[in-house]
Amino acid sequence: MALLEIRNLSVNYRTQRGTVHAVDNVSFDLDSGQHLGVIGESGCGKSTLMRALVRVLPRNGDIVRGEVYFKGRNLLELSEDEMRDLRWSEIATIPQASMDSLNPVQKVGKQLEDILIRRGRHDRATAKRRAVDLFELVGLDVERLGHYPHEYSGGMKQRAVIAMALALNPSLLISDEPLTALDVIVQHQVLEVLKQLEEELNLTIMLATHDISVIAQACDSVVVMYAGRLVEQTDAKTFFSEPAHPYSLGLQQAFPNLVQPKDILVSINGYPPDLHTPPTGCRFAQRCPFAQEACYQSDPVLTSIRDGHLSACLRIGEMDTLRDAARQPHTWLQTEASRLVQQNTHNGKQEPDAVATQHDDDTILRVNQVSKYYQIGGGIAGLIRGQKRQTVYAVNNISFELKRGESLGLAGESGCGKSTTGKMLVKLLEATHGEITFDGIDLRTLHAKNQLEFRRRVQLMFQNPFEALNARFTIYRSLAEPLIIHGWKRDEERLERIIETLERVNLRPAEAFLDKLPHQLSGGQLQRVVLARALVLRPDLIVADEPVSMLDVSVRAGILNTMKALAAEMGLTTIYISHDLSLLQYTCDRIAIMYLGQIVEIGPADEIINNPKHPYTQALIAAVPVPDPKIPSPPLRIRRGVPRPTEIVQGCPFVERCPEAMEACRHIAPPNVQIAGQHATRCHLYGEHADSPKLAPIAAEAIS
Amino acid sequence: MRRGIWIYIGGRLLQSLLVLWIITTILFFLFRQAPGSPLAAYIDTTFTEEQQQALIARFGLDKPMHIQYLTYLGNLIQGDFGDSFRYRAPVTEQIMDVLPNTLYLTLTSLFIAYIIGVVGGVFLASRRGTTVEKGGIIFTLMTRAAPQFWVGMILLAIFAFELRWLPSSGTSSPGVIYRSEIQKLTSIDFWEHMLLPTFTLALFLHGLPLLLMRSNMLEVLDQDYITMGRLAGYSERFLMLRVAARNALLPIVTALALGIGYSIGGNVIIENVFAWPGLGRMLVSAVAGSDYPLAQGAFFIIAVIIVLLNFLADVLYSVLDPRVGSSSQAQGV
Amino acid sequence: MQHEIKVNEITGITDAKVLSGGSLLTNFLRTNAEVFKRDRLALTGLIILVFFALIAIFAPVIAPRGPFEVIEADGFWLSNEKPSTDYLLGTTNLGRDIFSQLIYGSRVALLVGFSAALAVAVIGTIVGLIAGFYGGWVDTILMRLADVAFGIPFLPFIIVLVAFLTPSIWIIVLAMAMLLWRDTSRVIRSQVLVVKEQAFVSAGKVSGASNLRIIFLYIAPSILPLSALYGSLAIGWAILTEASVSFLGFSDPDVVSWGFMLQDAFNSQALSRGAYYWIIPPGLAIMLTVMSGFFISRGYEEVLFPRLRKH
Repeated sequence: MALLEIRNLSVNYRTQRGTVHAVDNVSFDLDSGQHLGVIGESGCGKSTLMRALVRVLPRNGDIVRGEVYFKGRNLLELSEDEMRDLRWSEIATIPQASMDSLNPVQKVGKQLEDILIRRGRHDRATAKRRAVDLFELVGLDVERLGHYPHEYSGGMKQRAVIAMALALNPSLLISDEPLTALDVIVQHQVLEVLKQLEEELNLTIMLATHDISVIAQACDSVVVMYAGRLVEQTDAKTFFSEPAHPYSLGLQQAFPNLVQPKDILVSINGYPPDLHTPPTGCRFAQRCPFAQEACYQSDPVLTSIRDGHLSACLRIGEMDTLRDAARQPHTWLQTEASRLVQQNTHNGKQEPDAVATQHDDDTILRVNQVSKYYQIGGGIAGLIRGQKRQTVYAVNNISFELKRGESLGLAGESGCGKSTTGKMLVKLLEATHGEITFDGIDLRTLHAKNQLEFRRRVQLMFQNPFEALNARFTIYRSLAEPLIIHGWKRDEERLERIIETLERVNLRPAEAFLDKLPHQLSGGQLQRVVLARALVLRPDLIVADEPVSMLDVSVRAGILNTMKALAAEMGLTTIYISHDLSLLQYTCDRIAIMYLGQIVEIGPADEIINNPKHPYTQALIAAVPVPDPKIPSPPLRIRRGVPRPTEIVQGCPFVERCPEAMEACRHIAPPNVQIAGQHATRCHLYGEHADSPKLAPIAAEAIS
Repeated sequence: MRRGIWIYIGGRLLQSLLVLWIITTILFFLFRQAPGSPLAAYIDTTFTEEQQQALIARFGLDKPMHIQYLTYLGNLIQGDFGDSFRYRAPVTEQIMDVLPNTLYLTLTSLFIAYIIGVVGGVFLASRRGTTVEKGGIIFTLMTRAAPQFWVGMILLAIFAFELRWLPSSGTSSPGVIYRSEIQKLTSIDFWEHMLLPTFTLALFLHGLPLLLMRSNMLEVLDQDYITMGRLAGYSERFLMLRVAARNALLPIVTALALGIGYSIGGNVIIENVFAWPGLGRMLVSAVAGSDYPLAQGAFFIIAVIIVLLNFLADVLYSVLDPRVGSSSQAQGV
Repeated sequence: MQHEIKVNEITGITDAKVLSGGSLLTNFLRTNAEVFKRDRLALTGLIILVFFALIAIFAPVIAPRGPFEVIEADGFWLSNEKPSTDYLLGTTNLGRDIFSQLIYGSRVALLVGFSAALAVAVIGTIVGLIAGFYGGWVDTILMRLADVAFGIPFLPFIIVLVAFLTPSIWIIVLAMAMLLWRDTSRVIRSQVLVVKEQAFVSAGKVSGASNLRIIFLYIAPSILPLSALYGSLAIGWAILTEASVSFLGFSDPDVVSWGFMLQDAFNSQALSRGAYYWIIPPGLAIMLTVMSGFFISRGYEEVLFPRLRKH
């Protein structure tokens, strides 16, 4: 008998516009010891499903139908008291925003002990001991028990929440997006904790994620959800080798992969249907390249392909053919949704030579020993606010050059200074030291008149499309704003330019978007508007700060492809800022790795990914989960946690976390060492101190 | 203690002193604006010119402005507010006589108001979206919109004049004299006099904590850690009373400290309706009777109490909320 | 710092869904329309306010007599008459018609209420915008000034000011404007701090927009509903304050206000006579107008903080 059996589960939300069928007739089993991944994009119903299992839904959510058997008991028929007893003692559910899941005004240890005492019949003393055990289990420093949540980092909070969830020895752990909003190295470490728990405690785990590499690394079976429905169910290996639903095929083509980089990332154009009024036919049909007339008429049922592999697709019999076709990127332009936006040939990677020919020796941007320091606290104001005087070295002495038409990626963990660098390049921030020259003009010398011209030529693209546009401005108004500022007086000229730009970013027909307000568009469309606004003045340089990190995987590729194509077409120089190395590998000619305000390694994208020199770069790359269960992620030889950039380190900033650290690294700042051609790194391993004695190796489990 | 919290408290103290200094300066110049000679009320028509000059010299009014200002500051620091024109006695004594009455009235009312407010706020939050909630809110807004003196007048008309259950004014019935504060506080007569003013003041004061508690509760109940508590199998009752109410209470504690300060300043009204011999009534009669030293002293004391309690409110908040004054704010680590 | 409580409540607004495109003005009007359309309580408040405004405007037409007109009968003052068809609410002990005083009293209440509210909202918004947008020393100085305003006892200050200068409602309005901007400016400032960090404001800067353009076109629209919220609260406080000052006897003796009427009643032993017809109506009128201000401000709150409205 399965540990958990879900039968025909349907969940609705009551909204002002009617009923949302968030989870629609979902059935599957979960065996004891199984590690199941539930994958799907935002709004597919995976979070709702997980919370419906333990009957903790938002106030407007109702379970309208179905049964959920746990160890043979139907959970939906239990009384509220019985159900409450079951939560966390049998089924431990960790909500998505676990960053905010801790009570901010109570010490974490106290919260953990409370659970043990109130829910687990412990007394104070045994609870204290158990809390220590649990913290050790998830790899947290026991001293942290006495700290408040705001003194924890994101990764530590996630571990603490996991420790709490395990406090009562549940038989099933349900975790919603356990890795979102964490840095890649921390992600890797949390994933390691989960894997280790699977082994040590023989836990049954259900993970919701949008990231197929999490499935590959941590799950043995998969359920794919789309628009409230279960569309495919199989084991993890089969999911990667023989996926059997067009949506699964698309997801895999859309996902960048560091190990086997794809020439072209596929975008699944369009958006999931509105679940107030779900379509009668297949819910994926609009976005499916293989959709036929019948797909719009009849609703496919989940059908068994072979034992344990189910898929809901009318063309299930031709899956082998479809799988081959799906590997061809142009296939994905054949969807109904693609035709709606009249997707043109913009999709696709430019020929490398074509890009290369545009690089002449024309250097457009020169960053020379630039630093940005912040003072926090100090002075009377600081005294009043109770802050000690501290200097934050957000960016510390970085230099690089960029040629016209080139694209550079800035990568690193959060807090490494990459966004600050981006803001300095567009002069949203002034550099504390050093000089930035754009096309021969020193940014410090800009005055009222040529500043406006500079503002025309250099644009910034923002991370969060929902915030980047003025909610009160129509799309037309948002795009007209820069033109008005730059003295475009005539309405017709402005309109013409705006329409032309909207079409360039594949928002067609452009006229349909002009009078829309931001909240009427989807995230992907909004990000295209943001791109259009950056382009409307025909700039020379665009700095894109995490341009797709807020978007679903299925639409990311579309934006990136458009950006790449336009950059080539318009001769744009681009700087991509991202924590995602696979994205940068896909979009950039060169990549610079930043750590604590310094560029520790810079070089051609492929060189950096395939032949990283700096131990930090190596760790970053090793931490990227691979979307292939056959390639297990390597162990990380790095300490957790980034120190605060509040003091200038004598030697290498990475020394405390570096597995290769040497005596020299402690005292001497590493010089910039030329590896080959454009590839350079700041590391003593490759310089004159390479034979300096090694420091004692640090344990991989060392805890910050 | 957390890092930085002492620096924070020290900084706030400096800031409060600065504010107090500015207020005393404003006060100094404000009272120079008083109509007529500052001694107009003091000087009898029978005084001779010399006598008048002597008086002016005695009060230092013949000195240049900045000397007067410095003398004034110096005296304030020593707690010397001069002599009342009317009572011909030190202002400090007068204030000390009536201050306890104001404190009894204010603190008792606040205590009752905040208990009712907090409990009522939690109750209304637990009835989110019902007519009970809506009715509760409208009633509370009514109590905040009704002028205190009007409510007091109606209560007086009913309970003191119509039914004759309670006394109408003062702290004691005719003939009753309290020989000490202890005797006062243990006398039934005093509490009978307290009843109506306390009720009127509490009725007005309970609105702020109630509305604040309700909206804090709703805010906290929407937080992720409450959802987490549900997932962890805690009962709604526990989450509501032990987690949400506790966290929602934090800002209320601050509001209480602020409330003490402001209601001492605002008691002017209630004290006048019920002829309650307190600071506010003294201030009004001093202003009305042109007894400027007394008015200035009363004003100053009220300002000191407000600034002090504003300071305490901040300190209290920083002590209660672990996130304030901590320099190790979560880094993106 | 000390008003962190309110500030925290307020900083929650990034939800601008209710607001839509168009110019600054149409935007603002649309938001206002939205408030009254969505919130029944706010609409009730508006109706009450309009009702009193009409009474104030047409006071000479509605009131049967002048407010200070002494009614004589057979050569005697007609004092302390009980309500009758001739004197709807009876007469005062000086033989004046209470009903007429009540009607004329609305003029002072609304005049004080609206002018003080306007002054508070305007000063508070401008100070908040400047402090929040420019930061640094400007901010420090303005916020210390707000601290000073918070430290000055409100009612005593007004009493002293009115007593020292000529008693007039304008002095009361001035005194309120001098102190009450503090709450508004703090809240507006913290909201500006939130809005100015939003990406669309940076986007404006990157496009080359000037500071003034940023303040008026990008930031101000998100701020104005908050100003309206605090403005409508101030209507209530101003009316209450004027009534209190009048009740304490510091008002202009030539102008009849509701507070003045109550003082008159209080000093004329209306309480011991049980003259409820004299005591109740002015207080009720004050309560209703003040409440209408509160209702309207709640309407703004509900629209600005949808969280509190949910479910």
